[in-house]
Amino acid sequence: MITKPISRRTVLGLLAATALPHRAFAGPLEPAFFADAVAAGDLPDMTTRLPKNPRVINLAAMGRQVGTHGGKIRMLIGGQRDVRLVPVNSYARLVGYDAALALHPDVAESYTVEDGRIFTFTLREGHRWSDGSPFTAEDFRYAWDDVITNLDLNKGGPSQDLRSGDEVCAFEILDTLTVRYTFAAPAPDFLPRLAAPLPLILALPGAYLRQFNARYADEAALAPLIEEFRVDDWQGLHTKMSRQNRPENPDLPTLEAWRPRTAPPAEQFTFERNAFFHRVDETGQQLPYVDELELNVSSTEIITAKTATGESDLQLAGIGFPDYTLLKSAEKTYPLKVSLWKRTQGSAVSLMPNLNYLDPVWRALFHDVRVRRALSLAINRAEINKVIFYGLGREAADTVLPESSLYRPEYASAYADFDPEQANALLDEAGLATRDIYGTRLLPDGRAAGIIVESAGESSLETDVLELITDHFRDVGIPLYIRTSQRDIFRSRALGGAVMMSVWQGLDNGIPTADMSPEDLAPTSDAQLQWPVWGTYYSSGESAGEAPDMPEAQQLVDLLKQWRSTITTEDRAAIWHQMLALRAEQVFSIGTVNGGLQPIVRAANLRNLPDEGLFGFVPTSYLGAYLPDTLWFEREA
Amino acid sequence: MTDIPPLPHHVNPAPFDPYAADKVVDGRSFLAVASPRQLMWLNFKRHRLALVSGIFLLLIYAAILICEFLAPYDLHTRKTDYIYAPPQAIHIFHNGQLTAPFTYARSVTLNMENLQRIYTDDLTRPQPVRFFCSGDPYEFWGLIKSDNHLICPPTDGELFLLGTDRLGRDVLSRTIYGARISLTIGILGVMMSFVLGIVIGGLAGYHGGIFDLVVQRITEVLQSIPSIPLWMALAAIIPVTWSPLLVYVGITVILGLLDWTGLARAVRSKLLALREEDYVLAARLMGAGPGRIIGRHLIPGFMSHLIASATLTIPGMILGETALSFLGIGLRAPITSWGILLTEARSVNIIALYPWLMFPVVPVILVILAFNFLGDGLRDAADPYK
Amino acid sequence: MLRYIFWRVLAMIPTLFLISALVFAIIELPPGDYFESYVSELQALGEEADLAEIELLKERYGFDQPMVVRYVRWVGGMLTGDYGYSFEYRLPVNEVVGDRLWLTILVSTVTIIFTWALAFPIGLYAATHQYSFGDYGLTLVGLIGIAIPNFILALVMLYFANIWFGTSIGGLMDREFVNESMSWEKFKSILEHLWIPVLIIGAGGTAGMVRRLRANLLDELQKQYVTTARAKGLHPLKVLLKYPLRMALNFFISDIGSILPAVISGAEVTAIVLSLETTGPMLIKALQSQDMYLAGSFLMFLAFLTVIGVLVSDIALALLDPRIRLGQGSSK
Repeated sequence: MITKPISRRTVLGLLAATALPHRAFAGPLEPAFFADAVAAGDLPDMTTRLPKNPRVINLAAMGRQVGTHGGKIRMLIGGQRDVRLVPVNSYARLVGYDAALALHPDVAESYTVEDGRIFTFTLREGHRWSDGSPFTAEDFRYAWDDVITNLDLNKGGPSQDLRSGDEVCAFEILDTLTVRYTFAAPAPDFLPRLAAPLPLILALPGAYLRQFNARYADEAALAPLIEEFRVDDWQGLHTKMSRQNRPENPDLPTLEAWRPRTAPPAEQFTFERNAFFHRVDETGQQLPYVDELELNVSSTEIITAKTATGESDLQLAGIGFPDYTLLKSAEKTYPLKVSLWKRTQGSAVSLMPNLNYLDPVWRALFHDVRVRRALSLAINRAEINKVIFYGLGREAADTVLPESSLYRPEYASAYADFDPEQANALLDEAGLATRDIYGTRLLPDGRAAGIIVESAGESSLETDVLELITDHFRDVGIPLYIRTSQRDIFRSRALGGAVMMSVWQGLDNGIPTADMSPEDLAPTSDAQLQWPVWGTYYSSGESAGEAPDMPEAQQLVDLLKQWRSTITTEDRAAIWHQMLALRAEQVFSIGTVNGGLQPIVRAANLRNLPDEGLFGFVPTSYLGAYLPDTLWFEREA
Repeated sequence: MTDIPPLPHHVNPAPFDPYAADKVVDGRSFLAVASPRQLMWLNFKRHRLALVSGIFLLLIYAAILICEFLAPYDLHTRKTDYIYAPPQAIHIFHNGQLTAPFTYARSVTLNMENLQRIYTDDLTRPQPVRFFCSGDPYEFWGLIKSDNHLICPPTDGELFLLGTDRLGRDVLSRTIYGARISLTIGILGVMMSFVLGIVIGGLAGYHGGIFDLVVQRITEVLQSIPSIPLWMALAAIIPVTWSPLLVYVGITVILGLLDWTGLARAVRSKLLALREEDYVLAARLMGAGPGRIIGRHLIPGFMSHLIASATLTIPGMILGETALSFLGIGLRAPITSWGILLTEARSVNIIALYPWLMFPVVPVILVILAFNFLGDGLRDAADPYK
Repeated sequence: MLRYIFWRVLAMIPTLFLISALVFAIIELPPGDYFESYVSELQALGEEADLAEIELLKERYGFDQPMVVRYVRWVGGMLTGDYGYSFEYRLPVNEVVGDRLWLTILVSTVTIIFTWALAFPIGLYAATHQYSFGDYGLTLVGLIGIAIPNFILALVMLYFANIWFGTSIGGLMDREFVNESMSWEKFKSILEHLWIPVLIIGAGGTAGMVRRLRANLLDELQKQYVTTARAKGLHPLKVLLKYPLRMALNFFISDIGSILPAVISGAEVTAIVLSLETTGPMLIKALQSQDMYLAGSFLMFLAFLTVIGVLVSDIALALLDPRIRLGQGSSK
């Protein structure tokens, strides 16, 4: 049994909280943004609004500066659907990762784990939703009883994340501030799911949502609402009004740092600071520092151009590495600053030979590890790095990055050298020794051994890398034909075994810790293009797709299952290493270059954004783990 | 009746000759005996710009037959040491002396601050350009193997007259190869819509009745939906498994399929007017069938008009292809058209940093202008008896 | 006359029916559906889609049912004023269009006025000075507008307007005015941005219109009544304006049919590049993501406008020009 100890930072925070009266900083505690409302009595003052024990962010300890309130961050989004990136970035979670990928209680004041299966969360006393209503165990009860397990609303019942095997976990309220979830078996996925960019949601603002729930509201009250919001029934109404991942209902109370003020459709979305947000800096100023976010919808075509003319104060989305030169040159004319963060994918571009391809000859070849290794050895990664990434990437297989504690150099270097000779030898051995007059290898049945690689055609990066690889493969006698597919049918074709080889980015999370699930490594999802059919078998609970007929792939699934029953970090790390080693040996996906760079643009006077960081959706939630609520604008003296 | 004298007026003192207009003397009266074709040519020649455009188009269409020879590099040749290299100039003076055309050797440095490649000419190292020389090998029309080019890079250097793109491919060569696709798409598409327009419009106009009604409804329907959504829908059903060449044919067919309505309407209304003419009645009385009447007697009556308006729709097709490429549903690599080249060039990065990648817009403009002027000239000339 | 109108209106019904079938085909033809593209787009971002919600939507909108059933539902819905649901925006279709419609109408109206104001004098000049230097020059300028692919022209103008005039890039106004109510400042900001799309979209239209005006006018000017009028010694300007011009203008009226939908849809490609808050980009986006009801209902709306436009122009022509009435619209 392990008990999650209260982390050092929490201790510091608690100390700092008691030290509140002795403030070292001269700024007013009450954000000027609310001064009028507080004076008019519309809003309680800050001390009442904050929980009794707010989460104290010790900026000095993080090497950042204490800031001052105020200002508005302007950003650009490519479509109004992208407002969903706000809760991803703002990242208030029951528990969340910090930049070093350690888990910390955030919305929860503390939590404990027993036997790896009993999770107890203690809430902050006096914590409130953004509308001022209290945030208590009752909101967990509402979410559990009236939504998650309410088959009227949630047809499938509790999701897989709340079950161990088939058994749904047990939910108890210990007191108004303490809730407990008890699983039948260890659930190592549970906390990472709560800390995910799109988290498992355990609490909903019941006080607000009751009015849309037929258990509490009568038909007469619901009917006009159903009419007003143009939905078909109360279920639709409740779903629409309670959507947490898409901040589209300005009235829905939230715990995030900024709350939405605009209902779609709109061309501009504003978010304003949550008056009841639970974090403060070490001087006692309520976070976030920045009062407002303003997101403008713009066509993706011109986001780079707009950013380069100073129209965005913080831009991550819609710009890419090729735009760096332009953005950097804009630093001279506009008050902005560009930094390069490292992308966290296992590989910027990787090739996935489809082990479920319909053609039996090719399938047998792809199942032959020599062929996969040979294809990997045939790629000149140094050239790709030089041409596409200015030599700034790392030439490596598709595996975890050196930034991960699970990294070992042998994973990255496995079959990642440029060795056409050995590649040729391996292909000869694998039964592709015959060649035609043009030097193209012939399949055992006499056809030319050309590979059709399909790309979703989203980024020119993919097609550029493929152009280079085409030449590399030609040198070992394998012609490569690039085909750009529409993305929407790409997946269903891959699933049907119609795609021979696809190109995609590598592992989503290249910087895992042993406590994060290794499910990306094993065939678990139909989105894994090297074995979509096996992935379906797993994700559908063995009701669709086919079981892996390759021992190594099956072994990965077995290892994943073992990981699911572990309790200690050491055991988990051991399994991770077995899986990583297996993948490195088997080359299930052929990586090229990783550690690709992502430009991040900020206004020159926007402080507290690190110059270097890791950029990815999982596990850092883009900026989330870097605490965007601590960003602030320095005004000229 | 009063005795007011008549107004002063001119009276020709020469004796009246009723056949004067028919007399063939040199000069103007040539017009009276010239065949329609000669008249059209005369009329057309008056439109100078049309004449020039016609010649220009002939030349450029002749050029696409021999892209392989004209382009200094192959379509897919990459020089990864010369990424985003700006255009090179050809010099003929070195140290004040007239020499054979040459370029200066280039060296590249990486500016890691901006991540920009900086090219500098080495003014001490002239490298003579070669003509009628051997370069990248190719198969001419898939038959004749050769490596002869009009112009080739210096033996120990490169020749990028219009610079290179992000993979170090020569923009000039790609533009030349792109012409082959873009220009044929226009012609093939128009041919298709021409045939469809004449057949459908002709039948509708001649037969009238139910057939006419149906055709009219169909044209009306096709014309009331904006063309881009129609293109998109049709382009989306081209199977992804098709080879790029088939996709090319498919796109051509799409452009042609959606363009015939205008021509069909024109044919139909002309036919409606013409079929009441006496000579048609005469032909019918003499036992000619509808096919013969339409093909032999009616269509020639306004063929010139049709050709003129068809010429004017070619630019629309060329631009349509660029729009499809822009929307990402047009041709697919490795087939390269001007639309694809321009789509690759459509970012602010390129305008600001690598403007030479936008060069393909120049031939697009020239060709479209030429087709427009040619079409105008043809139309003005189409009715020589005006 | 009434009889003519009656028959024309009656003829619209099968046309609209055919259009609805074609529109439905357009949105159904591409393989896959919105949900597939949605799920894969999310996956490209590294996210998992909310599959439960998608299943719910699929069921509610009958994606498991045969095409015919969905078609009948869709048409039936439209007849009763229900235009379906936009999956992309998670809103009923008629709420999605919103403000975009007004901005589109603004851009288009200004563009049309611009086109006419420019095309008219140029056309007159070109027709009366056929093959002169001015004729060539003006045609050339007009043609360059059509000759450059709109997306390149838009991008270049966007870029240089920013560098030379400091106009903010894209959109129809500076970002601080987006949610503001109308004010002098906002109006100025709109004007500052409006000229680029108007110029780009208008250029092509102007060239076409100049060409038609010139051709029609040339035809008229060669007719005998013009010669007679000249011979009688009428002032040349009066000769031009009194009849030939009037006749040549008939095509302005017959253009109404094509103008109406253009006013609503806006020039899609240009609007996408310029990031205009008009309906064009919305339509293209909906088609791309296969947001079928939004795309379908909007296309149907456009087609309906065209049909109405053709009807109006036919009737207007018939009223204005007795020759056409007698011909019973045989040559529209």
